[in-house]
Amino acid sequence: MRDASLRESRAGAAGKHALLIGLSFLAIFPFYWALNTSFKSPGEIYSPSLFPAHWTFDNYVQAWQAIPMARMLTNSLTVAVGQTVTQLLTSVLAAYAFTRWEFRGRHALYALISLTWLVPFQVIMIPNYVVISDWGLRNSLLGLIIPNVASAFAVLQLYQTFRSFPKALVEAAQLDGASSWGILWRVIFPNLRASIASIGVLLFISSWNDYFWPLLVTNKPEYSTLQIGLQSFMSTEANQWGPLMAATTIASLPILLIYLLLQRQIIDSFVKGGLR
Amino acid sequence: MFHTKTKLGGLLALTMLFASACGNANGTVDGTAAAAGGTDVGEKVKITFYSYNLAIASQKEGTQQLIDEFEAAHPQIDIDPIAVASTEINTKVQADIAAGASPDVAQLVFDGLDYAVHNYNAKALEDVVPAEELSKTFEGFSPNGLELGRLNGKTYGLPFTFSTPVLFYNAKLFADAGLDPNAPPTTWAEVKEAALQIAGKTEAEGVHIGGSAGNDWIVQALIGSNGGEVLSDDRASIRFGEPEAVEAIRMWQDMVLSGAHDKLNDGEVIQAFSEGKLGMLLYTSALQSAFIQASQAGGWELKAAAMPSFGDKPTTPVNSGSALFILSGDEAKQKAAWEFLKFVTSERGYTIITSKIGYLPLRPAIVDDPNYLKDWVEANPLVKPNLEQLTRLRPWISYPGPNWLQIETTLLEAVQQSIQGTGDVAAIMQEAQSRAQSLMP
Repeated sequence: MRDASLRESRAGAAGKHALLIGLSFLAIFPFYWALNTSFKSPGEIYSPSLFPAHWTFDNYVQAWQAIPMARMLTNSLTVAVGQTVTQLLTSVLAAYAFTRWEFRGRHALYALISLTWLVPFQVIMIPNYVVISDWGLRNSLLGLIIPNVASAFAVLQLYQTFRSFPKALVEAAQLDGASSWGILWRVIFPNLRASIASIGVLLFISSWNDYFWPLLVTNKPEYSTLQIGLQSFMSTEANQWGPLMAATTIASLPILLIYLLLQRQIIDSFVKGGLR
Repeated sequence: MFHTKTKLGGLLALTMLFASACGNANGTVDGTAAAAGGTDVGEKVKITFYSYNLAIASQKEGTQQLIDEFEAAHPQIDIDPIAVASTEINTKVQADIAAGASPDVAQLVFDGLDYAVHNYNAKALEDVVPAEELSKTFEGFSPNGLELGRLNGKTYGLPFTFSTPVLFYNAKLFADAGLDPNAPPTTWAEVKEAALQIAGKTEAEGVHIGGSAGNDWIVQALIGSNGGEVLSDDRASIRFGEPEAVEAIRMWQDMVLSGAHDKLNDGEVIQAFSEGKLGMLLYTSALQSAFIQASQAGGWELKAAAMPSFGDKPTTPVNSGSALFILSGDEAKQKAAWEFLKFVTSERGYTIITSKIGYLPLRPAIVDDPNYLKDWVEANPLVKPNLEQLTRLRPWISYPGPNWLQIETTLLEAVQQSIQGTGDVAAIMQEAQSRAQSLMP
């Protein structure tokens, strides 16, 4: 009886592992294929071989020369970090205000913020662009960040997170004489750090992948982000797969590095965020 | 501890914003700023040039060479080149016009001609260039080519980089299937026969007609070659539901249903043809250099033929590509822009465009001139069918009104629905015609 249940649990574990290995393969294979293609010569690009027959670095040289890669990577990182930090800051303050105080028009304001999430970017891009242009912020990273310092998505997510924070703890801190500002940063923030971090990761990825807004605001590659640079290897007539994959591999490295360094925190934040 | 972290976070955010502000080069880059207050004759003029060739890594060098040679020959004119992908260039121009920073010259795809004329305040060359100079410049231009950028009798767009649909074919697969690689099919009936033979006797697919997605220029070429049209001459009625158009698309559907035509999409088919797994491909001549490279690496021979016809009806190849539009309202900039347009479409300009960027020369005589393209054409004979089609070229029709793109999409969706299924082509195309008509102004 015990043997049978042991066998069953082993079979179950093997099944789970097989599933996880399969899912890992699905996640890793596209990156592997990009890497593989980036080392292939033009004649081999369309070959389904798992390794290049003739290894070449030409695609990397071509990609590096075609676009100002280092500058675009720095721009992408600056914009993504700047945007994520400011979005988290504004949404933490908004979520705190919405959950902490009963003020007139609170529900209406929250509904309005929720509604802005439903407005497609295409509707607001021209008015936003006109404002940014009037402020003289075209071709600047500030022009990329400023319209995105607040995120309705982050406010809505954090509102739910803050709502679930035990009121008793807040009241206890109040009795101890903590100020509203102190309660937020000393009591609530440390306890919700994992959830806030997981939203931060999503905001970072969304900002990193943004294509349309940098396309409008910047005219020159040196003021633009890497997503715009990658586009230059693609056209309606034909894609330059070799340099495109080389550029994509280079573009993935900083994110990969961040992930390797912060692996534990990122997984923790997703697990905690998911379980909460 | 917590305070320190908070302060560090704040400091980081401020640093980011400061770094971003330092990255601002707007004051010096905005080309239109140089125009403020007009420009006297003799003063240096700077014009902004939006180009999608500059946004394509493989075409950037040739386009930059055009700009460099122009600037060297015209020290008083500076070109501020701005690269924008062709799919986004209309959005970018519209946004910049709304922001009061309209480009001075823009390279726009032909299907947006009508919209550019009515919404971007594009200048007719007849209005900004003296008639005598204009007619002198147009000497030597392909008369059909010049029509491409005309609307209501005026030249708003000067044709710049464009190509025609050609039938690429794999000579090795022809030989393997028992076909003569030196006698490519000239009609769609012959294409079907040859394609079935290739599909039957080799492991490759027979034929693929590109252009059912993206833009409708190849669809327009097919419909026109069967005597149909997509828009009436008075530009008031959509006509792609009429019998001639339906019959052209029905030929395409029959090609797929019979097994002569593969079931791949346009992206996949470029890969399949490059790998030597497809016999024939009707697509843009701009793919030529990529296919030459693939055929050399794959050990097969690439050949090209003119677009096939419907029986003995003459074909009407339609161009893809773009024209240059002068959008500036400033007289000095208009003059400078005209000088630029003249140079890039000159004999020298088209020599660079054809040999370095890969598009057709609008001045056909330069292909026989040893000073320009003669040697290049001899070394690249594949371009010949493409050049021969210039005599039969028809302009890519742009639909009127703000819904021009939806009308184009409606046509393409109807074509896709027809060739991807067994539905009644007449019913599908007529229904699309009536939907498109309701989108007309």
